Amino acid sequence: MSKSDVVVIGNGVAGLMAALVSADQGKKVTLLSYGAGTFPLNSGVIDVLGYDDAGKAVANPIEGIGRTADNHPYKKIGMPAVQDAVEYFKKTVADEGFPYVGSLKEQQWLITSVGTLKPTCLLPESLQASKCFDANEIVIVGVKGLKDFYVDMVAENLAKELGSDKKYTTVTVDTYITGRDLTTRDVARWVESDKGYGEFLAQIKNQAGSGKAIIVPQILGTKGNYVVYNKLVKDLGCAVVETTGMPPSVNGIRLRDVLLSALKKKGIRVIENVIAEKAVVKGDTVTAVEAGGEVRAQTYEADKFILATGGFYSGGITMRDFGEYKEMVFGLPVEGDCVEERWVNKQLFSDKKQAFAMAGVRVDSSLRAVDESGNVVLKNVYVVGRNLSGYDFCFEHSGNGVALTSAYKAAKA
Amino acid sequence: MVKDKATVVVVGGGATGVGILRDLSMRGIDALLIEKLDMVNGASSRYHGLLHSGARYAVRDQEAARECIEENTILRRIGKSCVEATTGMFVQVEGDDPDFVDPWLQGCKDSGISTRELSKEEALRLEPNLSRKLKVAYEVPDGAIDGFRMSWQNLQSAAHYGGRYKTYTEIIAVNVENAAVKSIKVRDNVTKEEYEIECEILVNAAGPWAGKVAELAGLECNVSPSKGTLIAFNQRISNRVVNRLRKPSNGDIFVPHGSITILGTSSITVPDPEDTTTSWEEVEDLMKTGEGVFERLRDYRILRVFAGSRPLYVPKGAEGGRNASRGFVTIDHEKEDGLKGMMTICGGKFTTYRLMAEKFCDVLAPKLNNTAKCRTAEENLVPEVPEADKKAARQYFPAYGVNLAATRLGVEKFGEVVKTLKEEPESREVLCECENVTMAEIKRIASEPTSHSVADVRRRTRLGMGTCQGNYCAIRSAAVANKLFKDKLAESSDSLSDMKNFLQARWKGITPVMAGKTLREAEMTRGMYELLFNVNGGRRG
Repeated sequence: MSKSDVVVIGNGVAGLMAALVSADQGKKVTLLSYGAGTFPLNSGVIDVLGYDDAGKAVANPIEGIGRTADNHPYKKIGMPAVQDAVEYFKKTVADEGFPYVGSLKEQQWLITSVGTLKPTCLLPESLQASKCFDANEIVIVGVKGLKDFYVDMVAENLAKELGSDKKYTTVTVDTYITGRDLTTRDVARWVESDKGYGEFLAQIKNQAGSGKAIIVPQILGTKGNYVVYNKLVKDLGCAVVETTGMPPSVNGIRLRDVLLSALKKKGIRVIENVIAEKAVVKGDTVTAVEAGGEVRAQTYEADKFILATGGFYSGGITMRDFGEYKEMVFGLPVEGDCVEERWVNKQLFSDKKQAFAMAGVRVDSSLRAVDESGNVVLKNVYVVGRNLSGYDFCFEHSGNGVALTSAYKAAKA
Repeated sequence: MVKDKATVVVVGGGATGVGILRDLSMRGIDALLIEKLDMVNGASSRYHGLLHSGARYAVRDQEAARECIEENTILRRIGKSCVEATTGMFVQVEGDDPDFVDPWLQGCKDSGISTRELSKEEALRLEPNLSRKLKVAYEVPDGAIDGFRMSWQNLQSAAHYGGRYKTYTEIIAVNVENAAVKSIKVRDNVTKEEYEIECEILVNAAGPWAGKVAELAGLECNVSPSKGTLIAFNQRISNRVVNRLRKPSNGDIFVPHGSITILGTSSITVPDPEDTTTSWEEVEDLMKTGEGVFERLRDYRILRVFAGSRPLYVPKGAEGGRNASRGFVTIDHEKEDGLKGMMTICGGKFTTYRLMAEKFCDVLAPKLNNTAKCRTAEENLVPEVPEADKKAARQYFPAYGVNLAATRLGVEKFGEVVKTLKEEPESREVLCECENVTMAEIKRIASEPTSHSVADVRRRTRLGMGTCQGNYCAIRSAAVANKLFKDKLAESSDSLSDMKNFLQARWKGITPVMAGKTLREAEMTRGMYELLFNVNGGRRG
């Protein structure tokens, strides 16, 4: 296999962005991918920083980043790279026909499938909750046979978020698909078909009107564009808002498709369904990684490697027993506060970050792994996304933000 | 204010209490059982679920061993749908004391427990996950038993004979007049209402809480709560119960239940029976010993860790903990303390709960001039669900779920659920894929007088108890909970709190094992609920 300039390992948001930005530097890039990354679980919106260390909502992400702790990945990435990365992402998805709204200066909100609001920085227009803030009446549309979107629960919780002075009504539509439970993806396919769209519209049209906003599950088409959304807004003549929801996440898969399309245009070589197993190291430099899977292991040589294999969920980092961390490809040093009193909060949903969620590879401001004395371990290996230590993305709502901005910085290095 | 009356009031909704309620009811004695929380919340559901053959006690306590094998045979018959007749193995691996084998074999023989020697090859063929360091293996008639279901079936049987029970009803005082119990004062833990119940005899079957109940009557009862910690794994590691053939110790029993395996148990004397916390050290101790029998133990995903308190009775001056007797005592407080109308039962083990009730009621009944004989071993706990009903049910929900639902619900309720499934297609929604629980079943159980919260319904239906540990059904059960309990709940709850409380209850069992594959599962739970659903609410702070 011919040598690349850059090998990116991992195909979540961090891996795909690292590959794209690297290719834009004129590099020859190989991406080692496995499955669909974490996209089916991913909201497909870019959370930069939703909550601060005290759990308080952040109104202005840029100011919030300024207040993060010194060992937070954002402090290592630095503000210029964060700002450039956000612009880069917006341009990339806009060029693919799926522009995102939002900026680092003002927090956006979306509606979740349980009816709460969730802060985010960049999101598709169809998910933007602010469109319904001024509505007098909120109409929540459920789908018969679709699990995990309960209109009464959405109404109950949304009334708490938006105020009980609005009127909340619910309606349930029938897809006429029988014999099995449905996922949002099934329903999205139905809605994007001509016949399905007609049936869908017919069942909700009489609910529309001025001063109303229509809330739907993530069902306005499977593709990363606004074709179905725009048509529906026009046909109904009022605001329409999609929610995020239970995996498989339609919007996560939309974002994946859009980024893969951009990757293809830049001529990036994508190797599918391989797991990077070990590295070939000469001194403090990696010359190649070996990756296999169902096929025979192959060696992928490059001058630079970007590690985007994720944390405990994705298996990029493991801890077989208490304190026995392992970064699975390069054996990089992992840091974490694995002490019985602190490792797990007794409360699952607490006002504190979870120590186990913050375990990851220790890096310096170049995003290269360092030992306890601060010396770079492998000089041509960069670490991005959930491989990094020092942040709890569930607590902060910062996952895709750290993924995107760290990937950008590593690719530019 | 006196609001209720029964000849006998039994305090404690564990196996001991429900066994006594059934026995008394079958003898025609008017009895009422009260439980301060939901039924079976203590050691009767917080143990390894081993239906003892008695082999574990064959060396040290042959009376217990003989009782076990007799009751083992009876429970297989009367509680068929609660028992998995797996058989069991006693094994030694390299390093175990070979001199323990002969006295053990002799003990089994003397106690009437059959044993069959297995060659190493045969044992490994039957249980391929066993350590290659296996030295000897014997087969014994152990089994697995669902303590929760068996207790509920006892209640069902008792109700058939006129027995009554109340959950969330806590005894807070004993009223004594002329050295005899006249009534008790209770608090309804749901409505907080306090009232009196008149009775002739008060039975203290509160297990590890028995000392506290005795105190209410000004008596002393020396119960030493002994905490046992257990680990539940995500799969069947073996198809048989596997015991270590040695002096009983921590971490030497594996019991398969349905799709999981439970490893137990530790034995730590604790001051408070409510103390069910577990530490890394306890888990590590169990894992280390367990690895001796199944070498790959650390590669299996742990579902959760839990603990229960054994009600060990310690006569004054005797030893507690592992060496305390697993036998039980009947205390007639009229004889012991001069208080008429109060009896305490303490100690024992699940396998012999029926025999304990029989012996206890043999002392109690004559006090009421009742001469009826115990019939609890003669009659099955509940009638079997007819095949025709199961066949009809298969049209409406997954075939795999039919047997599970039939054994959970019993004939009557199962019939009603199937009728609902037939008539209301929306009720066929499977809310819990792990345990195959339909909306129809949830609604039926929610209508029971003992269901006060979605947590009660979860325990009865097993919703959220399966291998996903609530990840997929927390949202679904919260969605239906509010509809079902809106009018019933004293305090209003909301769907987000429901979801959080549900997952928090599972979390407690996960935190002590937050390593390996459990970490992965935890990241997924948080990714879904804290991130995608933002269950803490949006505009915080």
